[in-house]
Amino acid sequence: MVALIVGLKWQLLRNGLRRSTPQLVGLILGGLYGLGVLAVAATGLISLRFAVPSDVARTVVIIGGSALTLGWMLFPVIAYGIDETLDPARFATFAVPRRELVLGLLVSSLVSVPAAVTVILGLATVITWSRSVLAVLVAPVAAAVAVLTCVALSRVTSTAFSAMSRHRRGREAASVLMLLLSVGFGVVGSSILKRLSTPGLLAHVADVLGWTPLGLAWSAPADIAGGAIGSGLLRLGLAVVVLAAALLAWNSLLRSALENPRGVSGDRASTGDTGLGWFGRMPATPTGAVAARSITAWLRDPRYITSVALMLLLPLGLLLPPLTGGSNLWSLAMAPTAGFLLGWSMHNDIAYDGTAFWAHVATGVSGRADRIGRLAPTAVVASALLPGYASLACALTGRWILWPALFGVGLGFLLTGFGVASVMSALQPYPVPGPGENPFGAPPGSSALTVVVQAVAGTAVFVLNLPLIGIGLGALAGHAWMGWLCLGLAVVLGSAALALGTWWGARIYERRAPELLADLSRIR
Amino acid sequence: MPSRVSSAALSLRGLSKAFGATLAVDRLDLEVPSGSFFGFVGPNGAGKTTTLSMATGLLRPDAGTVQVMGHDVWSDTVHAKQLVGILPDGLRLFDRLTGLQLICYSGLLRGMDRALVVERAHELLGALGLQEEGGALVVDYSAGMTKKISLACALIHAPRLLVLDEPFEGVDPVSTSTIRQILEGYAASGGTVILSSHVMDLIQRLCDRVAIVDAGQIRAVGTLDEVRSGMTLEERFVQLVGGTTDVGEGLAWLRSSSD
Repeated sequence: MVALIVGLKWQLLRNGLRRSTPQLVGLILGGLYGLGVLAVAATGLISLRFAVPSDVARTVVIIGGSALTLGWMLFPVIAYGIDETLDPARFATFAVPRRELVLGLLVSSLVSVPAAVTVILGLATVITWSRSVLAVLVAPVAAAVAVLTCVALSRVTSTAFSAMSRHRRGREAASVLMLLLSVGFGVVGSSILKRLSTPGLLAHVADVLGWTPLGLAWSAPADIAGGAIGSGLLRLGLAVVVLAAALLAWNSLLRSALENPRGVSGDRASTGDTGLGWFGRMPATPTGAVAARSITAWLRDPRYITSVALMLLLPLGLLLPPLTGGSNLWSLAMAPTAGFLLGWSMHNDIAYDGTAFWAHVATGVSGRADRIGRLAPTAVVASALLPGYASLACALTGRWILWPALFGVGLGFLLTGFGVASVMSALQPYPVPGPGENPFGAPPGSSALTVVVQAVAGTAVFVLNLPLIGIGLGALAGHAWMGWLCLGLAVVLGSAALALGTWWGARIYERRAPELLADLSRIR
Repeated sequence: MPSRVSSAALSLRGLSKAFGATLAVDRLDLEVPSGSFFGFVGPNGAGKTTTLSMATGLLRPDAGTVQVMGHDVWSDTVHAKQLVGILPDGLRLFDRLTGLQLICYSGLLRGMDRALVVERAHELLGALGLQEEGGALVVDYSAGMTKKISLACALIHAPRLLVLDEPFEGVDPVSTSTIRQILEGYAASGGTVILSSHVMDLIQRLCDRVAIVDAGQIRAVGTLDEVRSGMTLEERFVQLVGGTTDVGEGLAWLRSSSD
């Protein structure tokens, strides 16, 4: 049975190669690049054998090994949906004894490119630590434990995550969790990078990681090679315990996945909202209805929730330099950045409807109502964010005189963005993840179209706002009146761009509504 | 006779649509008289959904005209779309709305008064047995509930013509019976219904007129009895469309009584 499952995985790997020629070329180029990186890493590990002092080798192996283990743990979540080839739930209908299934799935996980890379790196560390007889004996054991721990941890996360994903709410919670995690890593990572110059910091980080489940197996041979035999053996013992715990956790997760493969459950929770929600608050017109529908989607659909969170957080990233001792002039860009992102981001809004867009075609709703209604949620968010970010930047720099210019440029970006987006989204939608899919996943096939549309929309918004940016820079240089000029001009030019864009977009929409629906069903 | 033209609820003339090299609908003509309960049947890939999509303004035909009660769907769009209610097959819904919100959305998009929309939406939820589920998100509905909520969306503006693509697919017998009663009441009061289905038995019991379509063309059309010509609808269908139905002596190992 184990051999059969491993054979299945091998077959899947080979069939993966049987694709179109361009894909194959891409795969080969990617493979060559990977081989290059692997060769450099392995050579580095071997040359560390001769490094003096041996502390350097220790630091590099522990930090690198821990990062590798963490990567194994997180990869199934980031790439979820990609490698479900041996999804345990698919074995539910076959009467495979679970003990054999666990073993088979574990061994088959070793049949993959990342696993082969990890094994080679693990073997290279054996050479790194060939400084004493005992170390040569312990290092292969530790490397084997480390590699198996990587694989077992990745199985634990992927099984747990796919169990979570069986329920809509679990899937939505998971994607928001992922967003917070990645932002968290970004902040921690950048603050560590800032302090890299502090002497001894990396060795300290390695000391800490060496006692965590991520680094135990990687640090055991380092201790022994350095003469600390007692602590080395202790770490090896603990590493084995971690591996056993991961296998046990996976085993029990597998049991629930096999016994309840479809995750049958009453997921039909009421919203507790028996009323009309936003449909009762917005004007009872087609425009109001489109607006209410968009706002409801922004509040309930994780694809919008993650993009809103990103738009909130990206401008806040400009606060990192001042917070870490850099120039606080960066914060001045917050309001304009937010305005640009909010306006520009609407350029593919129609794609998020998917084929549900038929309701707009069938009811013959006017292009104007469709175009203007869709802008409502962003307009609401922007009306709080733009003044907020402008004020925050002024408070940080103490230059309140700049407020009209900051808000003005932000508003100009927002309104021209709305105008450009109203035209673009009626012209050419491009694929986005469908409702209920991973919000980070990019649907395959048309990345070129995506890049072109995004670049055209972005360039158009930027060029239209060049005069405002120029005047805004004048205000920054100390001409207070230019700030007010900037704000006034933003209102006039922005409104004109918005009016023209929605008018033109509405005309295109009314001419192309059935073709838009056809586009949307094709890209799904 | 101009009066004859206006008596057709739906009139398709020379309708054609090709997808790449495949001709999905090939110069198709069809008259659906006002007040009829019209069954539209055909094998998979016969062009049913393509035809109904073009008839309702969701898909632009390569050639041909579509008229609803004398209004051209592709030039007098606004008038024609007011007269038609649609339940498409294989398209998504705005499923992050609650059932009640989705029905109201369909009404408000058509510019109807909010009080009227809300009143009708509650009546529809009641008639379809969905009162309890009106506050749940449509994404969490079962297949049958989804079809029922789509039907409510198609009915909210009191259309004169209902075009339903596979309204009974994945629907349990109880919901099927509910939908049937609503459709029969609608037809009895003078409304016109066109529905497509694979289930011949259902078409036979529900419809008074039938069209059999294959390879993008009408193979037979008329009253149920005319089309059946003495057979069951299923026998006539297989006779017209062709294909193998006799499995002969194959699969003998599958018969557990054979040993």
